[in-house]
Amino acid sequence: MSQPIISLRNVSKVFQGKKIIDNVNLDIFPGETFVIMGCSGSGKSTLLRLMTGAIKPNEGSVIIKGKDIAKISSEELDEVKRSFGMCFQYSALLDSLTVQENIELPIREHTKLADEITEIIIKMKLSLVGLRGYEHYYPSQISGGMRKRVGLARAIALDPDIVFYDEPTSGLDPVVGGVIGHLIKDLSVKLAITSVVVTHDMQSVFAIGDRIAMVHKGQIVEVGTSEEIRNSRNPFIQQFINGKPEGPIDFFKEDIGIIEALGL
Amino acid sequence: MVSYIGKFVIDYLKWICGIFALLMDILYWIFLGPFKGKFSHRESITHQMVFVGVRSIIIVFFVDIFTGIVIAMQTAPQLEKMGAVMYVASLVAIAICRELSPVLTALVVAGRVGSAIAAELGTMKVSEQIEALDTMAINPTRFLAVPRFLALLFMLPCLTILGDLAGILGGYIVGTASLKINPDLYIQTTFKFLKFKDIYTGLIKSAVFAIIIALIGCFEGLNTRGGAEGVGRGTTRSVVISFILIILGDCVITAIFYFSNV
Repeated sequence: MSQPIISLRNVSKVFQGKKIIDNVNLDIFPGETFVIMGCSGSGKSTLLRLMTGAIKPNEGSVIIKGKDIAKISSEELDEVKRSFGMCFQYSALLDSLTVQENIELPIREHTKLADEITEIIIKMKLSLVGLRGYEHYYPSQISGGMRKRVGLARAIALDPDIVFYDEPTSGLDPVVGGVIGHLIKDLSVKLAITSVVVTHDMQSVFAIGDRIAMVHKGQIVEVGTSEEIRNSRNPFIQQFINGKPEGPIDFFKEDIGIIEALGL
Repeated sequence: MVSYIGKFVIDYLKWICGIFALLMDILYWIFLGPFKGKFSHRESITHQMVFVGVRSIIIVFFVDIFTGIVIAMQTAPQLEKMGAVMYVASLVAIAICRELSPVLTALVVAGRVGSAIAAELGTMKVSEQIEALDTMAINPTRFLAVPRFLALLFMLPCLTILGDLAGILGGYIVGTASLKINPDLYIQTTFKFLKFKDIYTGLIKSAVFAIIIALIGCFEGLNTRGGAEGVGRGTTRSVVISFILIILGDCVITAIFYFSNV
């Protein structure tokens, strides 16, 4: 197998005294679509932010393309950041810019391409996400699904090696969610991109994931292919896949009883 | 109680350090960024200059002209008792140029522009737009704070000059229409006593106020937490803190000029 493009080694992250990520080890390989699934608050978005360099781990190393992004200078980190794109949960498009200007932004900032070439690139990226003709719309004038697709076009504007997706289908109807899932898979194949997708939407987990990791309470419960995860006997995974309220994943804080909570 | 005071002091010191770090970051991107090929976008600076300057002209004009009128009306009866009513002209001009126009213009701009900066950047922060910039390796300070800082630094002194003229015009209206001072004599008296230093000390003040408004607005916006409520809190804080620091800064600068006989 080739060298991993992203490696997490003994990564831990603490927020306000609470360990959100607990000694995580993970390898993601070039060209694969890797899905990180888990319940809300399990630490999967934090894991994604550790990989994008938005936050630094308290312990361990996050290695992207051979560089430990927690230990490099800000200039080197910027260099690494230019090799990946990110699709945010709520798109995070700049409200004051049009669709075209949003996609244009990373190209203008990091390249010296002529205006005509930039315009061609924007048209190509918008075609890939099926949004030709929406160049002059503002984010507030288009639907949630379209905003996600514009966010995706912006993420791939610089032809990155890696694209991170934070809950790409949340808040969308099943059909649009399916379209986004299909788009992620399609772009990964067409552009040979490594995709890291954080989601709790089971429909898209199995539809797009080459490999899947289940996160619970900041730890990796299991990593495997779609088939392996689907057939896993791990009770955490079975409860999550089937969406059962009963099981090892405790939704309510069982360690605090009513009497203790009332201080009696 | 002691721990509460300790926490308050630590938070306050952290806030001051944060403001200072933002100032250093802005200065870095203004003076050293261009050597690394990282410029602030000219269109962005122009856009901010229009927002800060051009769109504040009417409100600044009216605030200062009415202030000029009020000073003339308030001081005329006192000066009349001493037979020195024609000195209303110089009194209005000096008071407006040295003190009132820089301070009132800064307060108006802090209310209009400082709050807008904090609200805009705060909304961008809570809707992950700032994080998106950071992920695209676009420094938010260079992209967002520097254009606003430069626009305020250039436009606030310009607005202050406009305020000076508006205030003098206000005094002129009262002086000539109500106090029956000869228009030529009014203008002569105005410029006889108004020195260049009266104008430039006012402009120095307005430059300092511009830095205060830009820094507080950007800092509160970029450090917003907690959704819509956080945006509201940051916006209010930016206006209140800017107002306090403008008045405090005015006192300090005036004292420096006073004791150094400028």
